[in-house]
Amino acid sequence: MNTAFHPADLAGIQVRPSRLWTQSLGWILFAVGIALYAQFSIARHKENPEDRVVPSAQQLIQGIKSAALESAEEDDPVDANAPLIERFSHSMLWKDTLSSSKRFLIALVLLIPAILLGLHMAVFPYFGALCLRFVTFFDKIVALSLLPILFIVFGIEEWSKIALMVIGVAPTLILDTFNIAKGVPREQIVKAFTLKSSDIDVTYRIVLKQVLPQIINSVRLNLKPLALFLFAGEMIAATDGLAYRIALMRRHMGMDIILPYVLWVALLLFLADAILRFTNRRLHPWYQPL
Amino acid sequence: MYRILSGSRSLSSGILAAVFLPVLLFVLFCAPRAYAAPPTFTVGWSVYAGWNPYFYMARSGILKKWADKYGIVIKVQRFDYAASLDAFVAKNIDACTMTNMEALDMPAAAGVDSTSIIIGDYSNGNDAVLARNNLSLSQLPGKPILLVQKTVSEYLLERAMVMNGLEGQLPKLKLLNTSDSDIVGAYLGNKGNQVAVTWKPLVSEILSQDSGVKPLFDSSKIPGEILDLLVVRSEVLNRPDGSGAKFAKAITGAWYETVAQLTGSGPDTAKALSGSAAASNDTVASYKEQLKTTFLFSSSQSAAKFATDAALKQKMDLVRQFCFRHALLGQNIKSVDDVAILYPDGSVQGKKERVRLRMDATYMQMAAQGKL
Amino acid sequence: MVSAPVTLSPAHLAPAPAAAIAPARATEAARVEISLRKVGVAYSAGKEGTKTVLANIDLEIPAGEFVVLLGETGCGKSTLLRLMLGQEFPTSGEVIVDGKPVKRIDSRTGYVPQKYSLFPDRTVLENVMYGPENARAGLLGRLTPSFWRFRRELREEAIQSLTRMGLRPQDMKKYPYQLSGGMQQRVAIAQALLMKPPVLLLDEAFSALDPSTRSSLQELLHSIWAESRPTVVFVTHNTTEALLLGTTLIVLGRHRDEEPEKSNVLVAQQLPTAQLPFAQRCNSAEFREQHEFLERVAFASSSRYRTQPPAQEGCHA
Repeated sequence: MNTAFHPADLAGIQVRPSRLWTQSLGWILFAVGIALYAQFSIARHKENPEDRVVPSAQQLIQGIKSAALESAEEDDPVDANAPLIERFSHSMLWKDTLSSSKRFLIALVLLIPAILLGLHMAVFPYFGALCLRFVTFFDKIVALSLLPILFIVFGIEEWSKIALMVIGVAPTLILDTFNIAKGVPREQIVKAFTLKSSDIDVTYRIVLKQVLPQIINSVRLNLKPLALFLFAGEMIAATDGLAYRIALMRRHMGMDIILPYVLWVALLLFLADAILRFTNRRLHPWYQPL
Repeated sequence: MYRILSGSRSLSSGILAAVFLPVLLFVLFCAPRAYAAPPTFTVGWSVYAGWNPYFYMARSGILKKWADKYGIVIKVQRFDYAASLDAFVAKNIDACTMTNMEALDMPAAAGVDSTSIIIGDYSNGNDAVLARNNLSLSQLPGKPILLVQKTVSEYLLERAMVMNGLEGQLPKLKLLNTSDSDIVGAYLGNKGNQVAVTWKPLVSEILSQDSGVKPLFDSSKIPGEILDLLVVRSEVLNRPDGSGAKFAKAITGAWYETVAQLTGSGPDTAKALSGSAAASNDTVASYKEQLKTTFLFSSSQSAAKFATDAALKQKMDLVRQFCFRHALLGQNIKSVDDVAILYPDGSVQGKKERVRLRMDATYMQMAAQGKL
Repeated sequence: MVSAPVTLSPAHLAPAPAAAIAPARATEAARVEISLRKVGVAYSAGKEGTKTVLANIDLEIPAGEFVVLLGETGCGKSTLLRLMLGQEFPTSGEVIVDGKPVKRIDSRTGYVPQKYSLFPDRTVLENVMYGPENARAGLLGRLTPSFWRFRRELREEAIQSLTRMGLRPQDMKKYPYQLSGGMQQRVAIAQALLMKPPVLLLDEAFSALDPSTRSSLQELLHSIWAESRPTVVFVTHNTTEALLLGTTLIVLGRHRDEEPEKSNVLVAQQLPTAQLPFAQRCNSAEFREQHEFLERVAFASSSRYRTQPPAQEGCHA
């Protein structure tokens, strides 16, 4: 049954690529991206050896070193012979990651009430009737445009950024939770009541427990908007954070720092997503996504 | 065999289409540029009292008159400040308005050899440190200070501290990087934010809306340190066909004609003022108020004199040291002398082989001598 | 030869002739478990005014009966079941279950739907134990040692009940998605029965199963009913299944707007087949006669059902 590979198969639908093919194809676009970048960078450096717009590999390595291993500008200098861990813990990359993560996690925690709100709206008809229209409307508001108000209400430091994230993401999450929870078959709720469940049992032990995997997936999808709002907030006003550094570096074209930062942020988001996905699978072995 | 042939043919034709269609479009759109007859130059400018006249200059036809005289075409395009610098460094535009500080830390530090051909003005009070509750400079440490970091605002703040003997307090300042588009709202909206450093018209806006805010320090105390320049890429200026030099002459000529209108008292002055104010949607009154704190070199003679004065070197040295201290010259620049400045008298500040910024008085002098 | 059981009077049900039903019932007083009084259900349907689904329904169902609710699609039999369940309320009249009017869904009724009959996030054993645990203690009461003793006993009882339903021990730790549809319905019945509800409501509970699974479940359900005699209301659109399982038959017809006052109930009667031993019902003359009659009455408007040969489906045993 092992048929030879025909080039025409590449464009077919009814083909079954071997594992080797799928694995290697997955990296091709990365390789192409890196090659294009390298070519672009080399061309620009030939013209101007000090070009900072498309830094060379050497400049990038230097940038990564100063971002991850040299002490931050506002920090005391650290001994160059200190162990890597200690140098890293004084670096601007680490400090920015810490402060951005803190904001991110606080916002995530503050989204829990949003999830519960959506759940209650779906389960309790009167409560749903009260909130649904307003939340649907609020969801359409572009949170960034409220920033001046947020500054006045929450001050310019931590809370305005966290509020921006929460206000930006919460309505979507509320509506999504609402829809997911509404999707629980009526039979399940009826059944639960015939089995002597209280309203609280039905809300938390039947509906919430069933939809939790879907809600976690919804949170996973919202990680990116959350990061987007965090970055918007940090770029507008901040004393530290990943986007603060990117905003500063932009001022004098520090692409050698910005690019590693961007990749680092991508990696962090990927990790957060992977952790949530893993947790979801571990906690909910019964969940069978359609 | 047939299958392979037919399959690969349809596949390859698909690939051909996918590759060539964009190429074709690209060629179609780019080709006309190559055929444009007279050399064309693009000047980027951004909103600022000292740069608004570029808008009027292009609108009023003064620029076209001068460009025609030299047989070239000059386009003027408005940008956000940061975007104008990006475009200049990316070589999308040929000349750009910027401060002496950005000239050092953006194009020069990025290896783009640049030449300043016009010193238009210096900030003479346009930038200010503002504070509530009658705070004094010595009380600033520990209080959050709203400003756009790594710009002339931070430079001004440092100069204020140093000139008042508070150099030791510098590390204790708590700087809050705040975008210029939000700084007014953020500062006025919350009384907890006691200090801000910014520039006009934002300064005027804050002062007019909150009578409790007082300026602590402003750029009139450091005259000639924050310069507003017109910078041209050196490779453009030195084009072998001489078109770059023509461009420099044309724009310098146009500039001083515009400034003469603006600062004169003839019938054109009102037109020049309202035309320049319109560049930033300001009222003439507000624009005049901004001009009061902008030291506009009203004649080419005064500008050329300033450019050739030895004091310029000391002032530029303060700025370049600041840039180096804040790593604005690049992470891998180990010495302040790696980004060197060439002055009109031929002297070099920094390493001779690493001249990146050229303060050129040639064209201002030509204008002064009426040779344009 | 059994006389033609044509009667359109629901009142016929009330004085159930003891002889017609299995002997155990004869000694008991015929306590009424479910009664519907002048029940009607109508929805508002926009411009067309209201649409009546059920009208003028009077029924009294004695305890211990196995009632089959038969009718073609859209005749309102599921609506009638939801009224008994408390999931819907009548627009007129009153529904009384276990002596009290139905105001909300509660543990007076056990419920086995066609789909989504188990909680997907709980194992088989957890599913079955869920109800009795709730009945025993609230959330705080679960912290006491007596609850944990109760839970151990309950676990034993649940395992027994599941074994009786034909589940193997290794299936009891599985999640519902790991079980076949027939297994899931077995668990769902065990789950409902463990609460010992006065009334057990099954809504097309076997309709999605393949014929052989279906017939083994029918046999199981019958034997369980025969053991403890709960009151069962079984909704189906399958005539064979109805005749096989029921002691009492209610046939609903579609409400017709031309006769607004006319009841949907076409037939309400004791079933002669119920007197026969379960295994012989399928092949009896009564069965065939009833079957033919019902196909004519209940599915008069829909020829789809009449084309099915009688006594074929559901009688594989």
